Amino acid sequence: MNRERSGMERLETTIGEVLRFGTITSSTMFAVGLLITVMGYQPMVAQLLLATGLIILLATPPARVIASVIEYIRERDWTFVALTVIVLLALAGSVAAAYL
Amino acid sequence: MNLTASLALIIFVAGATAGALGVALGLGGGIFLVPFLTLALGFPLKSAAAISLATVIATSSAVTAQRAGNQSINLRVGMLLEAATTVGSLLGGITAQLVAESVLHRLFGVVAIAVAGVVLGRVNKRNVILDPTVDPGRLGGRFYEEESGGIVSYRMKRLPLALFASFIAGNVSSLLGIGGGIIKVPVLNAWCGMPLRAAAATSALMIGVTATGGAIIYYGRGDLQPLLAAPAVLGVQAGSWVGARLAAGASVKWLKVLMAVLLVIVALLMFLRSTQ
Repeated sequence: MNRERSGMERLETTIGEVLRFGTITSSTMFAVGLLITVMGYQPMVAQLLLATGLIILLATPPARVIASVIEYIRERDWTFVALTVIVLLALAGSVAAAYL
Repeated sequence: MNLTASLALIIFVAGATAGALGVALGLGGGIFLVPFLTLALGFPLKSAAAISLATVIATSSAVTAQRAGNQSINLRVGMLLEAATTVGSLLGGITAQLVAESVLHRLFGVVAIAVAGVVLGRVNKRNVILDPTVDPGRLGGRFYEEESGGIVSYRMKRLPLALFASFIAGNVSSLLGIGGGIIKVPVLNAWCGMPLRAAAATSALMIGVTATGGAIIYYGRGDLQPLLAAPAVLGVQAGSWVGARLAAGASVKWLKVLMAVLLVIVALLMFLRSTQ
């Protein structure tokens, strides 16, 4: 029970860090990109920042799921390894549906 | 100011308003942002939904990062139900590509009316067990609750129902660009034994990955443009920040009635739009 709790707390901390990093990075890129767009110079740089910000935004939740898979493997909690892998497979399905 | 800049500013303000209202009512901003983008700005519903999904992801990530560590998020339940929401969002995202815009408009109308009903008659069962020595079971949880002034426990009930509601929420999320918390939270709270705060925090965790499942499809199909998503995301974040501070402790009763009326009007406009 104690070991399990500490694993859960560690996972929650990791998830928090992944999500915080993704949020701050993507929002900063959006803000700078929009500012440059509004000011009307360096349109290429602005486009690059906005596009990268969007990719980071979209990649953040999957990154959080991958962090969870790793933590559940460390805990040898195979039920939750399976569940989080289903989530990843569904996301992979979305990528396939988007480009096929 | 050029056209792009004005449009970005309008979307930012719309996002901020939707975000503030969403936080105040516990709905998420999508239910207001999508109709604004479609009805006021004339965006196709697919592109409005895509923009809204981007804001849902940002909100989920920001809120969950903030809450991580206070144990109100039930990671196990979240990751279990996510398996259902993401499969749902994959199916919803594919369906959105196949059905006509008018079908999506009508569906949005139906969901808006249902949401209005939930807003007015929001169930708020406490579901807490005050004895901290009670074993919450494998899926239950324990967290510090201010109302009780101590650690409370709860047990999960009716798991198949929770999975089914999550699957439906995932479908609706991708189809209409809303988070889906409005479907999951009342079900988890009223029938599955979760305290409202745990249900809301767990749903906030789930909507990020759920919205991503739909957003990826829209992005790949060219319906999600960075230049339109960016101001919406920043707007919703600013609005949520303000809304959380305004709503803290304040009575939102009149706001609920007003928003329910607004949602019914939105539904009617959506039905009207679907006949055009």
